[in-house]
Formats: sequence, structure tokens, C-alpha cells
Amino acid sequence: MGNFFIPSLISFFLLLSKAESESESELIADLFALQSESKSGVIHLDDRAVARFLTSPKTPRPYSLLIFFDAVQLRNKPDLRLRQLSQEFALVASSFIANHNSTNPKLFFCDIEFRESQSSFSLFGVVSLPSIYLVGRTTKSLKDDSERMVQGDFTRFTDSLVDFIESRTKLTVGPIHHPPIISRAQTGIILGFLLIWSPFAAKKMLSGETMLHNPRIWLSGAIFIYFFSVSGTMHTVIRKMPMFLMDREDPERLIFFYRGTGMQLGLEGFAAGFLYTIVGLLLAFVTHLLVYVKDPKAQRVAMLFSIFVSFWAVRQVIFLDNWKTGYAIHGFWPSSWN
Amino acid sequence: MAAVANMPVSDLLKSFKLKTKQQELLIRVSILCLVYILAFITRLFSVLRYESMIHEFDPYFNYRTTLYLTQNGFYDFWNWFDYESWYPLGRIVGGTLYPGLMVTAALIYRILHFLRFAVHIREVCVLTAPFFASNTTLVAYFFGKEIWDTGAGLVAAILIAVCPGYISRSVAGSYDNEGVAIFALLFTFYLFVKAVNTGSLAWSLASAFGYFYMVSAWGGYVFIINLIPLYVLVLLITGRYSMRLYVAYNCMYVLGMLLAMQIRFVGFQHVQSGEHMAAMGVFFLMQVFYFLDWVKHMLSDTKLFQAFLRITVTCAVAVGTIALGLGMLSGYISPWTGRFYSLLDPTYAKDHIPIIASVSEHQPTAWSSFMFDFHILLFLFPAGLYFCFKRLSDATIFIVMYGLTSMYFAGVMVRLILVATPAVCLISAIAVSATVKNLTVLLRSKNKGVQTGSTKGSSSSKASSKALLDQSQPFQKNGAIALLFGAFYLLSKYATHCTWVTSEAYSSPSIVLAARGAHGSRVIFDDYREAYFWLRQNTPPDAKVMSWWDYGYQITAMGNRTVIVDNNTWNNTHIATVGRAMSSYEDEAIEIMRSLDVDYVLVVFGGVTGYSSDDINKFLWMVRIGGGVFPVIKEPDYLVNGEYRVDKGAAPKMLNCLMYKLCYYRFGEMLTEYGKPPGYDRARGVEIGNKDIKLEHLEEAFTTSNWIVRIYKVKPPNNRW
Repeated sequence: MGNFFIPSLISFFLLLSKAESESESELIADLFALQSESKSGVIHLDDRAVARFLTSPKTPRPYSLLIFFDAVQLRNKPDLRLRQLSQEFALVASSFIANHNSTNPKLFFCDIEFRESQSSFSLFGVVSLPSIYLVGRTTKSLKDDSERMVQGDFTRFTDSLVDFIESRTKLTVGPIHHPPIISRAQTGIILGFLLIWSPFAAKKMLSGETMLHNPRIWLSGAIFIYFFSVSGTMHTVIRKMPMFLMDREDPERLIFFYRGTGMQLGLEGFAAGFLYTIVGLLLAFVTHLLVYVKDPKAQRVAMLFSIFVSFWAVRQVIFLDNWKTGYAIHGFWPSSWN
Repeated sequence: MAAVANMPVSDLLKSFKLKTKQQELLIRVSILCLVYILAFITRLFSVLRYESMIHEFDPYFNYRTTLYLTQNGFYDFWNWFDYESWYPLGRIVGGTLYPGLMVTAALIYRILHFLRFAVHIREVCVLTAPFFASNTTLVAYFFGKEIWDTGAGLVAAILIAVCPGYISRSVAGSYDNEGVAIFALLFTFYLFVKAVNTGSLAWSLASAFGYFYMVSAWGGYVFIINLIPLYVLVLLITGRYSMRLYVAYNCMYVLGMLLAMQIRFVGFQHVQSGEHMAAMGVFFLMQVFYFLDWVKHMLSDTKLFQAFLRITVTCAVAVGTIALGLGMLSGYISPWTGRFYSLLDPTYAKDHIPIIASVSEHQPTAWSSFMFDFHILLFLFPAGLYFCFKRLSDATIFIVMYGLTSMYFAGVMVRLILVATPAVCLISAIAVSATVKNLTVLLRSKNKGVQTGSTKGSSSSKASSKALLDQSQPFQKNGAIALLFGAFYLLSKYATHCTWVTSEAYSSPSIVLAARGAHGSRVIFDDYREAYFWLRQNTPPDAKVMSWWDYGYQITAMGNRTVIVDNNTWNNTHIATVGRAMSSYEDEAIEIMRSLDVDYVLVVFGGVTGYSSDDINKFLWMVRIGGGVFPVIKEPDYLVNGEYRVDKGAAPKMLNCLMYKLCYYRFGEMLTEYGKPPGYDRARGVEIGNKDIKLEHLEEAFTTSNWIVRIYKVKPPNNRW
């Protein structure tokens, strides 16, 4: 029994000492390898990697790590903006790596996911997201010594992250390489294509047989633009408003309508735009299409239906507007009917 | 004599009896006269409620320059170097403004004086916008007549006379460029459509002059110079190219461009700036089209022509692209300006230009604003679109394009609802007029139909198709009457809404504030003017006043004192310097103020009255704009967990910055509301966080009766020993 035990103990100690003595150069080489494996240059850490690269080596470590704390289940929460922040983090990482290709200043960009590395989260004492920590070379206790990026800096993230890195590590990040929307080759191809296509298009156009000569297409486009504008879609796009909100007290309930002027939610706008559009379209339908229907009964039913729908839509718009703005918009019927 | 005397009265009446045509004309003219008067008087609410005065911010600059123009003449005005603004830089006024408005007002003033009406120039300025709104109704009538029929024109005139979207910028006292520019815009469009319809050189010449007036009046002329080429392009690709179009566009473009270059502020932009390149491109494209037409006419062989076509189009496109690329690269053609770019890519301004994003009228529009400004027109617009597509012509295509592009831009920026208003009124007028016409034709043709058997009096095919169904539908007449009443009811509701909106929302001068007292009575706060007159009376004439840029024009116009920055936000760095001073600690701010020779600092504060658009609420923008140029200023320093607070939990930097100190100086001692602690800020609804404010380098000079404006004097440096 004893004979059996001792060798295993010895091998265990051997293993341990091997891990301890894992040389600094090996760790750096591994980090570089991990960095080159990832597409953006952000190293994905888990509990084991944290133990290997952060807790076990003696300080001062030969490298510093910048860690972005991420959580997959919280990614679709719009107010945390985790997805966007992680993309920008990756952008800064790849720019940094590209700018320091030859000098290699031993600052590595990493991320940790909450589900798979919960113990690391508690090791750092991370309780809220988004969180970014810089573990410097001399950092001993991960919880107390590592430097946290201030919460307020997440508004203009790319710039403030660069500031953060430059102020804490005394390294320069250099220019951020934003990926172009279309690459140079693509522009060339598109230009060439346009050049070849234009004579054919011109020929078709002169003979008048394209889609563009069909007024129906123009009409639907026109109605669409109208709908797009009056439903305040530009407001949603510019302000990056969500389609709906989650109720803070009751997460099951969704809020579709926002009270107060000058603000709106996406679906709210679409609903109002739809109501605006449908009345006009019904009027056009009644005056231009319904008259071709032969059966007078069907005509009457359709007529009554469209009057009813128009009435309902207008009523709804007035009600919503009163509710939203507090202004008593004049309805289309005496106010005692409300 | 005797014969006339003996003539029976009925015969006399009969000789005065008008023919139907004349009757119609009489009714039409009297409606137009009434609409003309209506458009004018509905904009007088502001004068009745308050007094005859200039509103808001920009109009004060316009007023000041108009005054200068009438006093010193045109050439002095044109060469005016204004050293009272943008100290120490000054401003070349003649080269940096659109003179159309001032020249128009001065001209009206001269004419009135020539006719021996001794009015003050201020009255002329106050009433310029309503006068031009009345003229716009006339243009709308003619425009409606051109694109549809006289009925639509009349309805359009009535709708635009009271439409809140237009009234918001043309009430009496809002002496701003838009007041005359909307008239000029619609007039130019009308003349251009007329030119396209007739192909006459005279009309296109007229539209070039209309364009010239527009360019001289408002920067929004860029909309015209892009919409018209777009329209021409659409006509080209839908195969509606004609000689009429060629004449109209070429004449209008070439002459309009040459005329526009006479405005110094615009200068050579028509050939140099990217915003105007579309017009030039379309101009060359027109020549290519004409050339091709001519070659086609000369060549009888179609195959030969097609080969020729391919080669020419490829060459033309390639040459155009290369020329544009070279122009851009060499810097000869400037790229788009921020304001224009923010229309195409609306998220641009928010990220890159805080000075544009900070203006409240540059915010994107929510759906409720459309409802507020258009009311039933919004429901009628899609119907009108449909009607236009059912009767496509060059004119209706134009109005559809104008309506849609301006609708899109109205969605991007609240203030551009103004540009969309004429188009919305015209298109809705088509819907109203066509519907009402169908209904009335139905009513009348039925009566006739019973008598004569068949009627073909109606021009509209729909109406006659309805008339054919008469026999089968006994209630149709009643139905039509009911629908007619419904339509008139809706329109009368529209009028009620418009009048109500005008009187409640759009007639406030914003320089005099009104609130409802506890008993429903009106309380007037006239603090702004009190402060400006104090400045005028009690400070040395060469004193320099520092304030946030919003108040610059008013201080120079009413206080007659030099300001550091004003509403013409041409120098971002200068504004950022002021923003930096306001958001620094007092001892840092005093350095900046000394370097700018500031003698007085003016802040606007609403904590006592509950006036919410004061400097504390604008403060974050000062920080943002200041921080955009001077990175020492960081927005997060003024926030607590991303929240903007002024109470005890506020950020320490916030509680001690210059703006906070100047606004809340001595406020901690004051009881504003019963049952609340002293220093309770009524605009924010909180008790302030720093009640013990000591000023070191500044001293309070004047605070108005309701504390809305507070003026501080910068103390001279201490004696050296």
C-alpha cells in the first residue's frame, strides 16, 4: 500500500514543481500562440488559463493582461451593449497588435465568459458588467490590485479604452484600424461592373422596358417612404432606440409605448405609421378600385368596412397622441363622446 | 334717362346677372382674398398675446442687421465688419449671411415710407413673415392649379394658410430666413413646373430668378438644387425626356447658378462643392441625351445607333467619374459639409458634431410631432399619392418627389417639417379636392340623369362609372351627402386644431415667458429684456459679455454689448473655449476669461421659476462641446453613474464648476416653494447640493426679478502688494 502511495506522491510533487517552474518564456510563447490563433487577437481565458497565467506565476510577471468580462446570456440586453463593446474591444486589440508587430510590448487582450469561468469572476470580484480589468506586471491580488476601467468611460468606448491603456501602461496604442465598409478590391469590381452595365441599362431605358417604367413599383416605393418617415424610423435609427422595453418590475411584461414627447420606441412608431397610412390607402381604394366592383352589396360591405376601419384608426391615433403628449389633440368627434 | 328710369328693377338685376363662368371666377377670387387675409391674421396671435416684438434668438441678429441696413445703406451693410460679436475675432457680416430677408424687409420699409406710412422698422420686421405666408397661399393656389385643377389649388391654399407646420416658423415676430424662404421655395418650384409644362424660356427664366431669391434668403436652397436634378433624372430614366424639360432645366440651371454666385456667402460653391455636383452631373447628362436624340435622328440604322450608344454612354460615365474623382482628390471640389452629410447619414451628426446635435430643432422627429403639425393631412397624404399616381404627368411626378424627399428629411430633423409642409398640403389638397369633386359630381349628375336620361357632363371617368350604377343604388345620393358632410366636418376640425395649436404652442416669443398662475391667471416673466436693458444702461459701452452661445445675438441686439460667442456657430474652438470656462473650477476659468478680456458673465437660471431650458440643463452640451476640443474636460467627471445630478449626490466637479456656482450663488438661502427646504430647485425638482457658494474672482452684478438671468462682474486682478 505504502509502496504504491509514495511514487504517486512523488510524481504529484514533480508535476507541481514542473508547473511552478514553467518558465516565463514558455508562458509568453503560449500567450503569443493563443493570440495568433484567435482571429482578432483576443485570447479567450477560462478558469484554468487564469490559474496558469495569472495566479500561479510569481510577480512581477513578464506580461500584463487586459481582460474584458463577458456574459453570453446577457448579450441581448440592449442597455449593457456587451456585443458592441466586445467588438470594439477586439478592434482595439487587433489594431494594437498590428501597430506593435515588431516591438511586442507584452500586453495581451483577453476575454472571460461568465458561464464557464465563474470562479475567475469571483476571483476578480466582478459583480457588474461591462467590466474591464488591467492586470499589471506587479499585480498580486487580482481583486484589490488590478485596475478597473471606470464605468462612465463606456460611453465612447474605443477612445476611452485607448486612453485607459495609454495612461496605465505607458504604451501607445497607435491608430485604430477601422475595417473599411467595402474593401478596395470590391470598389474596383463594383465600379467595373457599373461601367459595363451602364450601356445596357441605357439601352433598356431608352426603349422603356425596365421595372422603373412601372408606376406600381414607384407607388409602392412612395407609400413605403411615407410610412418610413411618419413612423419615426429615422428617430429609432439615430437614437438607436429599441423596438420595445422590458418592464423593470415585471420582466415578463413588455413596454411598447413610451410616454412623453420627443421620444418613441420602434414598434410604437410602426404602429402609429401603420394607422396613418391605412386611412389614406382605404380612401384611395374606395374611390379608385371599389367602383369597379359590380355587385352593389359587396360594394356596400366594403364601404362600411373601410369607414369603420378608418374611424377606428383615427380614434386610436388621437387616443395615443393624447396619452403620449398630454396635449388634447382635437379629435374628429365631440369631446363628450370619448 | 327716362328709359333707364322706367326700366323695371328685375331687368336691371338681370343685366348684372353673371354667367356661370363669371360667377365661378368671382367665388374663386373672393375665396382667395379671404384665405389671404386668414393666413395673415391667424399669425397675429403672438402680437395679441404679448406685444409686437421679435422672437427667439436668430431673429435678433436679422433685426439688428436690418436696422443697420436701413440706417447705413446697402453698401455699408455689404461691407460691414462687426466687431461686437465673436470677440476678439469679429465677424464679416456681409460675407457670412443670406441677405434676402434683410433686403426684403428694408425694401418694404422704403416702400411704406415712400407712400408716407411712417412705420418703425421693427413693425415691418415683425410682420414680414405673416405677409409672406399670405403670399405663399397664392403660390400654393397656382401650383395646385398647375398640377391638378383649380379646385385642388383652392383647397391647397386654404390648407397651407393654417397648417401648423408652416405657422410654427412664420408667426408675427419670428423674423427668420425661413419666413420668406418657404415662399421662395414654393415659388421656384411652381415656376419650374410651369416651365416644364410649357417648355417656355420665359417661365424657366422666371424660375431662375425665383431660385436666385431663394439662394439669397436661406441655406435650404441646397434642397432645390438637389431635388430638381433628381426630378429630371427620374423623368429621364422613366422615359419622359422631352424638349420642354431640356429647355426648362438648362435655362434654370445655368442662369440660376450664375445668379446664385452673386451672393457672397454662396460664392463659387455651385461649381466647387460636392453638394451641388448632382445638378452639374444632370446638366451634362441632359446634353448627352440631347446629343443621342440628335444622332438617332440622323442615323437611320438602329444597329449602328446601338453600337454608338454603347460607346458614348460608357465614355460619358467614365469621363464623369474620373472628373469627379480628380476634383475630389485635388481638393477642387470640396466634400459634403457636416450638415448635409448628417441628412444622408443621419447618425453622423450625433457621433461627430455635437454642435449640430445639441440644437433642439435638429433632433429626429417622433411620430407624435407629425400628428401635431399635420393633423388630417397625414391621413390624406397616402390617398393623395395614390391619386397622383393614377394621373401621372410631369407635374404630379414633381409634387410626389417633392413630397417624399421632404417627408424623409422631416423624419430626420424636426425643423424640416417646415419644408415638407407645402408638399403635404398640396398632395392632401389633391385628395380632398378629387374626393369632394367626385361626390358633388355624383350628386349633380344624378339629378340631371333623371331628367335627361344620360349624362356625360362629368369629366372624371370614375364619376361617370358611379353614375352608371345609379339605378341600382337608391341610397347613393344620401350616402354622398353624408360623406360630403363628413368631409366638411373633418376639414372644420382641422381648422380648429390649427387655430388651437397656433394660439397655444407656436405663438410664444420665448424671450418673454408666460406661465399660468395658481388661479389660472397669466404670469409674465420679462427677465430677459430686463437683463439686456440693464446691460445697456449700466455697463461700459466696450464691455465684453461671456455667455453660452444661445444668448449671443440677443445680447448684441438688445444689450448692445460685445459678446464672445453667438448663435452663428462658425468657430467651434471659440465656443469650446467658453464651454471649457463654464465647466472648469473658478480659478481655472478666470484665466480663460482674462485671456478673452471678459468683463461680465451672463447665465440663465430657471431654478426659481421652474423654467427648464436654462443653462444647467444645457450644461452637459457645454461639457461635450468643450471636451471635443479640450480633452481636459471629460463628461464622466460631471456624472454620477451616468446620471446628471445637481443635488447632494452630484459629482464633486459638478458642484464646484463655474456654471454651477454662478447659477446657484446665494440660492441656498432662498425659499422657492412652500413646504420645501431652502435651495429647492424647481426646474429639476431637487434640493441643491452645494448651498454655501463663495465666489473669489467674480461678484454678482445683477439678478433679474425672477432670477432667470444672472449677471456677474469679473473682478480686476488684486493689487500686487
